[in-house]
Amino acid sequence: MKLRGRVWKFPQNDINTGLIRKQMYNHLPPEEQGKHCMEALDPTFAAKVKPGDFIVAGTNFGCGSSTPAHYSIVALGIPAIVAESFGPLFFSNCVGGALWPILCPGILGLVETGDTLEIDTDTFEVRNPASGKTLQGEALPEIYCNMIQAGGEKPYLKARLAREARS
Amino acid sequence: MAGMHALHKILTKCARPPQKSVSLGEFLEIEPDVFGVIVGVNGTEAKRLAADLEELGIKDLPLRERIFAVSDHASPAPTVAIAAAQKLWREFLKSHRIRTFDGGAGVSHLVLCEEGLVRPGMLAIAIDSHAPTMGAIGMYAASLGGGRLTLYAIGRYVIEVPKVTLVRVTGKLQPGVLGRDASLYVNGRLGQRGAYNNAVEFAGPFIDALSMDMRFTFANMGTEMGAVTSYIQPDDITLDWVNKHGNCEYTVYETDPDFKYDSVHEVDVSKIGPQIAVPHAPDDVKPVDEVAGRRVDQAYIGSCASGRLDDIAEAARVLQGRKVHPDVRLIVTAGSREVLKAATALGYIQTLHEANAIVTSANCGACPGLHGGILGPGDVAVTSITRNFEGRMGPGGEIYLASPATVAASAIEGRIANPLQYR
Repeated sequence: MKLRGRVWKFPQNDINTGLIRKQMYNHLPPEEQGKHCMEALDPTFAAKVKPGDFIVAGTNFGCGSSTPAHYSIVALGIPAIVAESFGPLFFSNCVGGALWPILCPGILGLVETGDTLEIDTDTFEVRNPASGKTLQGEALPEIYCNMIQAGGEKPYLKARLAREARS
Repeated sequence: MAGMHALHKILTKCARPPQKSVSLGEFLEIEPDVFGVIVGVNGTEAKRLAADLEELGIKDLPLRERIFAVSDHASPAPTVAIAAAQKLWREFLKSHRIRTFDGGAGVSHLVLCEEGLVRPGMLAIAIDSHAPTMGAIGMYAASLGGGRLTLYAIGRYVIEVPKVTLVRVTGKLQPGVLGRDASLYVNGRLGQRGAYNNAVEFAGPFIDALSMDMRFTFANMGTEMGAVTSYIQPDDITLDWVNKHGNCEYTVYETDPDFKYDSVHEVDVSKIGPQIAVPHAPDDVKPVDEVAGRRVDQAYIGSCASGRLDDIAEAARVLQGRKVHPDVRLIVTAGSREVLKAATALGYIQTLHEANAIVTSANCGACPGLHGGILGPGDVAVTSITRNFEGRMGPGGEIYLASPATVAASAIEGRIANPLQYR
C-alpha cells in the first residue's frame, strides 16, 4: 500500500510519551485525546494537522511510559509516523492501534514540515517526491504488518480465530 | 547462535511452539507465565476490552489463573472521572475472575514479587514501563506495549529477542553514599539510550554485595537506559529473599560461558559522592554539590525505583530528631504494604511523622503525576522517583532525581542539600 501525506516534523530526540500526550489526559476516551496531541511541544498542532498527514520524528520517539499516547495520534487520523528510531513500547503500541511506525534512519534529512512524503508499506521505501530522494526504511516483522493491515488487534484476532477454527 | 543468555533460555521455554534456541532480533510469539495488569484509569478502555472479548467469542481467558491485577496508579481515586474508570475496570476484572490487589497493596511489579506470584526463571508481561524491576529476581520481565487484547484473548504476545548489554559494577561505596546514588551514576554513564532496545544485565562484585531492595532499584532503572528488560543472575541473596516470599518452585537459568554480550560496560562506583539527575533527563547526572542550594518546594520519597524498606530507613535516619523545612512538603509513599508495615514496626514511620512528613498509603503516588503530590507550574521537586521527564509530576514542574537521603536532607533545608552532613 502507498501512503501519501504532508509532513509535520518533530526533530528533537527522546520525545517521551508524556510529551506526545500528557499523562493528565490518560483517562479521556481515546477519540478525545487527539486535541491534546503534542500539546507540550506545539499547542497548535492538533488544530493544524489534517487526517492523512504524517509525523516525522527524531531518535527514540515515544520513549518512557507505556501509556497509550498513540491514541492521540490515531484520533487525528494520522496513519504513519516515520522516525529515526522509536521507544520500543510506543512502537508496539502503534502496531496494536494500526498506526504504521516506520523506522527510517536519515528521515530528518529527507523532509521538512509541509513537504509531501510517500511511504510504501510493502517495501518500506520512503520518498520525497519534490526532491526525488528516497530512503529505505526497516521492514516490520510479518505479524506486525498483518496486524496493521487488518486494522489493529481486534480485526487481526478475529481473522486469526476464524482461521484457527477452520483448520 | 553460540552460547545463550539465561534470558534467551527463558524465551525458548515460553515460545509457542517451544524452541531449542532463538536468534537475536527474531520476533517470537510467546506465552507468558504471568500477565500483570492494573486497575486502569481509562474507563473507555475497560468497556471496549469487555466488548471486544465478547465480540471475539472469548468467555474463558486462557491465562486467567496467571493474570494478576493491582490498583497502583491513581489509587485511591483522585478524581470523579478516574473513580468511574476504576469502577469499570474492577467490574471487568471481577467478571473474568481475575485476582485483584486493590488500593494500598503497592506498585504492581513489587507486589507480584512479594506475593511470590513471579519467581526466578519465569517470564512475565506486565503493564507499566518499569515492569523490568522484577528482573532483579532473575526472570524475564517485560513491559506490555501493544498487544493487551491478544494476551487476554489468546494468551500470546510478540517479543523481539533482545541483544544483551552487560553492566559490570565494581567498587565499594564511600560511607553515606547509597545504592541509589550508584544507580543514578550508572544511568548517567550509560545514558538514556545506553541499552536501547536491548536487555540489560547488572553484574559484578558491587551488585553481588547489594541487598534485594537495591537490586530492585538497579533493575528498575534499566528502563531509563532504554532497555526492554533488566536481569540480575540469582544468587544466595536472591534465593533467600524468594524463599521468604512464596517459597515456591523456581528455575535458575544460567548464561552460557561463551555467550557474546552486545556490549560490556565497567562502572567503578568507589569514588562517587551523592548523585543527582537534573531536569529533564534521567541521564543528566551530576554530583549533588553542583546543584546544592537550589530551592525545593516538594520532596518526595517513593516509587518502584526507591520505595523499599532500605530507602525509607535512610530517609528516617536523616530525619531522626529533625523537622521538614516549613516551606517544603515532604511526601513519603512506600512501594508496597509489606514495606509500609515493616517501616511502621521498625519505628521509621513514627520518625517521619515527628518530622512533619506526609505519609501516604502504598502505591505509585506522585511519580506519574496523577495524584498524591502533583506539582504546580514552577514547583521544584527533589525526589527518588524513576524519571524526571518534563512535566511528569505535573505540567511546569521541575524534577531532580536523587537518593532518599538526599531528598530527606533537602527537605530539612528547603534547598538541595548533600546528605553526608547528616551522617
